[in-house]
Amino acid sequence: MPTPEPIHIRFSLNGKTVEARVAPGLTLLELVRRQFSLTAAKEGCGKGECGACTVLLNDQPVNSCLKLAATLRPSDRVVTLEGLADDPLMKRIQHSYVEEGAVQCGFCIPGMVVSSYHLLKVHPQPTPAEIKEFHSGNLCRCTGYTKIEQAVAKAAAARKEGR
Amino acid sequence: MDNLARVHFPSSLREAADLLVARPGARPLAGGTDLLVRHRNGQLPDVTDFVDLSGLDLQKITAEDGRVVIGSGCTMTAVATHPLIRERFPALVQGALQVGAFQIRNAATLGGNVGNASPAGDTIPCLISLEAEVRLFGPAGRRAVPLADFFTGPGRTVLQPGELIEAFALPDRRTAGAFLKLGERRAHAISKVSLALSCWEIAGGRREVRLALGAVAPTVIRCRKAEELLSAAPWPPSAELADKARRLVTEAARPIDDLRSAKEYRRQMTGVLFAKALEQVIGRGASAR
Ligand SMILES: Cc1cc2nc3c(=O)[nH]c(=O)nc-3n(C[C@H](O)[C@H](O)[C@H](O)COP(=O)(O)OP(=O)(O)OC[C@H]3O[C@@H](n4cnc5c(N)ncnc54)[C@H](O)[C@@H]3O)c2cc1C
Ligand code: FES
Ligand code: FES
Repeated sequence: MPTPEPIHIRFSLNGKTVEARVAPGLTLLELVRRQFSLTAAKEGCGKGECGACTVLLNDQPVNSCLKLAATLRPSDRVVTLEGLADDPLMKRIQHSYVEEGAVQCGFCIPGMVVSSYHLLKVHPQPTPAEIKEFHSGNLCRCTGYTKIEQAVAKAAAARKEGR
Repeated sequence: MDNLARVHFPSSLREAADLLVARPGARPLAGGTDLLVRHRNGQLPDVTDFVDLSGLDLQKITAEDGRVVIGSGCTMTAVATHPLIRERFPALVQGALQVGAFQIRNAATLGGNVGNASPAGDTIPCLISLEAEVRLFGPAGRRAVPLADFFTGPGRTVLQPGELIEAFALPDRRTAGAFLKLGERRAHAISKVSLALSCWEIAGGRREVRLALGAVAPTVIRCRKAEELLSAAPWPPSAELADKARRLVTEAARPIDDLRSAKEYRRQMTGVLFAKALEQVIGRGASAR
């Protein structure tokens, strides 16, 4: 087998233009965790099933374990949970998760709240069905989904009241 | 994925086709949701190179010469939200929306779903019910193949070395339709059985009906007998006719037993999906002109 040739990439990460040299097989998840020390996104399954690795790519949630870093383009905008740390909507979501007791081991949560964030951006006042639908790609092994769904509904209600 | 040696970034279809011919270990890479999983699982030991198709301008949806042309690089999200598709092809919208979850649909492409050639690929029955034609580009030039003739077995297609799916061309007409699937759970599961129904108005108060079944045979299949029966009678079909069609659909299914579901169950469920799809379409009949 020929030696892998590193590939030079440039893209926007959490609002800043960054550059990196990556092996052809490196995933976006491995890139943000290893080279940029952004460890919120987790590898649960590595095959698109659990959503623990969810990040926003051009404002859309994707599984970063299934995106090759080498295929990132200069026009691509990647936002990880760290990039939303000061975002009022994300803070509201995180508070609601805590208030509702929606977090147990926490492994799924970084991916889960990115999906919640995307939902509330697209549907500020979601129906229960929309809440379920927008989190169907995120698995949680311990909390169960009821409290998570309640937390998201609470965040939406709080937002409506301007809290 | 340490056994991946190179990723290529061609800027034209010709360049991509040449790369695929020159490098036998190369595979086209679209959204990667099938390819990366299989590569990581060690199911593609001979694949050393990926040819990234994202720079080939394959993400467009246009209406031209009586056809709606959907670029192979369109994601499920792009397909399901496009006004032209939403207005004309409800079965395809429903199919695209049932592929995986949000995260998957934002990456998974129509070309990848078809290129993967799984009998359980959800958009395949939808596209077949809409009489889609696959437009191919290869070292020998361009050609078009009816999608129904594109698959030769599970994971196998008529694609020649170096040949790529450029687009899907669907007759431009307003259709009514539905896509229903049965999986392990409601969202985010591979189909055990799936069914697409599309129909459009023809002369004499009738409708031309197309029915395709997924995951119940080595490739997606059409139910021609049920199609003929439904297309010959006035629309909507009587309860008696619908029941006859349902029996024909059940008979057309030739499921193989596998871990996902037993044979007889899948066959019966095909009939159930058909009845539900028909009900949905008749209920919505007024919106299809
Ligand atoms: C968690 C999970 C859930 C899933 N759920 C579903 C589901 O519910 N329903 C479903 O149908 N599928 C499902 N899939 C499978 C997969 O997401 C789809 O088949 C998807 O459409 C593949 O598209 P892609 O762009 O990611 O293809 P890729 O992985 O990039 O490619 C798939 C195959 O097609 C070939 N290919 C891609 N583009 C072209 C082209 N233009 N010309 C020629 N060959 C090409 C590739 O070489 C490869 O062999 C799921 C996958 C995962 C990981
Ligand atoms: S780690 Fe990406 S979906 Fe599980
Ligand atoms: S809190 Fe443990 S997996 Fe969700």
